[in-house]
Amino acid sequence: MSIATCYGRIALAATATTLAISLGAATTRPTPDRWWAPGDGRVFPASLDYPNEQGVLRAMLVGGPMETKGHPFFSPIGPAGRACVTCHQPADGMSLSAASAQQRWDAVGNKDPLFLAYDGSNCPTLPQADRASHSLLLDHGLIRIARPWPARDHAGKPIKVDFKLEVVRDPTGCNRDPQWGLASKRHQISVYRRPRPVANFKYIEAMGFSFDPKAGMALPLDPATGKPVSNNLMADGRVLSLESQMRDAAGTHLQFAQNMDKEDVRRILDFERRIYVAQQVSRVAGPLDADAAEGGPRKLAESKPGRLGSQGVAVWSEFEAWEKLSDAEKAKLPPTMRDFRASVARGARSFRERTFLISDSAGINSPIGFGNPVRNACAFCHNMSQMGMDVAPGQIDLGTTNKPFADPMPWLPLFRVTCLGAPHPHYGRVIYTSDPGYALTTGRCADVGRITLQSLRGLSARAPYFSNGSAKDLRGVIDFYDRRYDIGYSEQEKQDLVNLMSVL
Amino acid sequence: MTRRLASLALLLATGAQAATAPELRFVGCPVYRNVDAGKKSGCWLVEDPASGIRYDVSTSPTKPDWNHAILVEARAAAIQQTQACGGAVLEPVRVSILPQECTRTMLPAEGYTGRKFALPRRNVRPLYEARQQPEAPFTPRTFVIPFDYGSDFVTYQLSDYYIDQAANYALDVQPARVNVIGHVASREDVVSGLRLREPPSLADARAKKIAEWMRLRGVPANRLHVSTTHPDTSSDDPAFDGLVQASRRRVVVQVTPMRSDRSANELP
Repeated sequence: MSIATCYGRIALAATATTLAISLGAATTRPTPDRWWAPGDGRVFPASLDYPNEQGVLRAMLVGGPMETKGHPFFSPIGPAGRACVTCHQPADGMSLSAASAQQRWDAVGNKDPLFLAYDGSNCPTLPQADRASHSLLLDHGLIRIARPWPARDHAGKPIKVDFKLEVVRDPTGCNRDPQWGLASKRHQISVYRRPRPVANFKYIEAMGFSFDPKAGMALPLDPATGKPVSNNLMADGRVLSLESQMRDAAGTHLQFAQNMDKEDVRRILDFERRIYVAQQVSRVAGPLDADAAEGGPRKLAESKPGRLGSQGVAVWSEFEAWEKLSDAEKAKLPPTMRDFRASVARGARSFRERTFLISDSAGINSPIGFGNPVRNACAFCHNMSQMGMDVAPGQIDLGTTNKPFADPMPWLPLFRVTCLGAPHPHYGRVIYTSDPGYALTTGRCADVGRITLQSLRGLSARAPYFSNGSAKDLRGVIDFYDRRYDIGYSEQEKQDLVNLMSVL
Repeated sequence: MTRRLASLALLLATGAQAATAPELRFVGCPVYRNVDAGKKSGCWLVEDPASGIRYDVSTSPTKPDWNHAILVEARAAAIQQTQACGGAVLEPVRVSILPQECTRTMLPAEGYTGRKFALPRRNVRPLYEARQQPEAPFTPRTFVIPFDYGSDFVTYQLSDYYIDQAANYALDVQPARVNVIGHVASREDVVSGLRLREPPSLADARAKKIAEWMRLRGVPANRLHVSTTHPDTSSDDPAFDGLVQASRRRVVVQVTPMRSDRSANELP
């Protein structure tokens, strides 16, 4: 066991004890095993709580408990022994934290199907028993994503590509690998991304408007159904519907060669559309739905999805009630709880109102005519009530993967993109990136580094953050924004935003 | 105080004739003034190289990119509020971003207030809001979609507003035919020393983009008829707010209902 892992366990145990003391009945139920192995055969309860360093995350299954024995989300359906739940763990907000991956490695090493050679290692050709071969998953929570290159459309046909892609740096060896690399028969590019949470899909699938203003086009149609879709599903928009996503995942991450049958698809969809996750209890602020606050997953499950916060329920107004407590009510609270709640409420207000100049970010500053730069706040893009994702399809280049804005990440590959037609509106002719993102789907150099925004709920359960895990904690997220856009947050503002995100 | 008096003087000088003010057209490098009156409150200024006057083009649907020159097409505003940004206000105004590079420049607020953001009147409403359907008898309707110079991108809170109307009407009345006709500003103009002329192929690109939008919204592809027209003409459609030069760049959508004497709910 590594020192870091050991410390993590101690910290978690301490957190759980503190919670048990401070919250009484809220945590008297025994915490179920954190790790859901494929085929466990447990019953998924209507409400499932897991402690984390910031408090308690709750997974809520609308419609009541569900038997997981034989359920395709929880059962190994391919030869690799993996199931959907392997990378979408309830304790991790239906995503996968790097800490959980480390715990699995410490427990059973590469025998856990999580560490499947295909994508649970840095490259399938590496020696699989070595920890170093899984370093991206263990240290950064990253799964290998192999995309065809040149790009193909949703029907698998080659599309016109307006840029050249070259490998500059290949620390995993996979992009130059004779079996798996760009020049191999597979013609694949390997990028490394965090698993996105499988929960709160009512919001992720919601279409607030009939068009995508960032693309200047009506919403795309799902090829399978011919119906419009939100296009908010995947980091690079490579699939348009949950059904397509599960077939894509089954064929790649689960190594399932056959098509899933209709009943399996139906059962997975049923589960995915009933599961809601959010932080339910804060270690310091207490229950997040106390004193008229509206944190936790219940509000998520009950609210209408796809609503613009600026024209309806303000984003993170869930914590407005804590601003309005009378002095007498505040006096009844322990000072640390009172101060923390005030900080969360300030963080919510800052999220909506603290403006800064956003520049050179494709998806915001181009091609849509907001201007470059444009003054706005976090809620400009994180604009959906209750979820903090983008009501419109949210492919944005924050600079998390593109140089010069991206932080140094020597463990990731680096690609040189040369635009063959018009130069990129902000980077010029040549772009260096660790993940071209949406451009791997569209084939457009203007889309390099654009990554779909995701849900901000359940963050405390699933570090690290950003699609490439470049922020190791919530403070890292705020620090990145502060550097990227030269915001000049005060220390108090940073802490307020971190506290806010910790209770979502 | 001096600034306010100057603003008032400008208002008195220009206000009366603003409605008939001559159309301005020039190319310049935009300057961003970093005022903070909340979201989207920054100011965009640009100097007309011919007159040396600094104009405020902040109300354009397309805002500038400080790395690129812009084509400005506008008239002087009826009410001059120079204290907002520090330039003579143009409204209506259209900005088109050109490929020519500019040195990015940002001015401090210098006491200017900026403008608090207000939702433009041309905005597409969300799907979750109830929409009023047209009542029979249905009539043929024409919708005009503006475009920025040299671009087939659908301008946010301008062009999208009109396409949305066109698509909704086409869906509501189950059209027998939708003509989508692309136009370009194909006549060469020299503006601030720069030769401007749109290629004829852009008319086709614009029309196809609008037709694709309509198809994705659910208008049957076999009802959509795409064509282009090459004579460079202007339009007096309200979408252009009287800006003749900007009106040369457009797509016209003609929706012909299947039958005019049935309500939307009765149509097959």
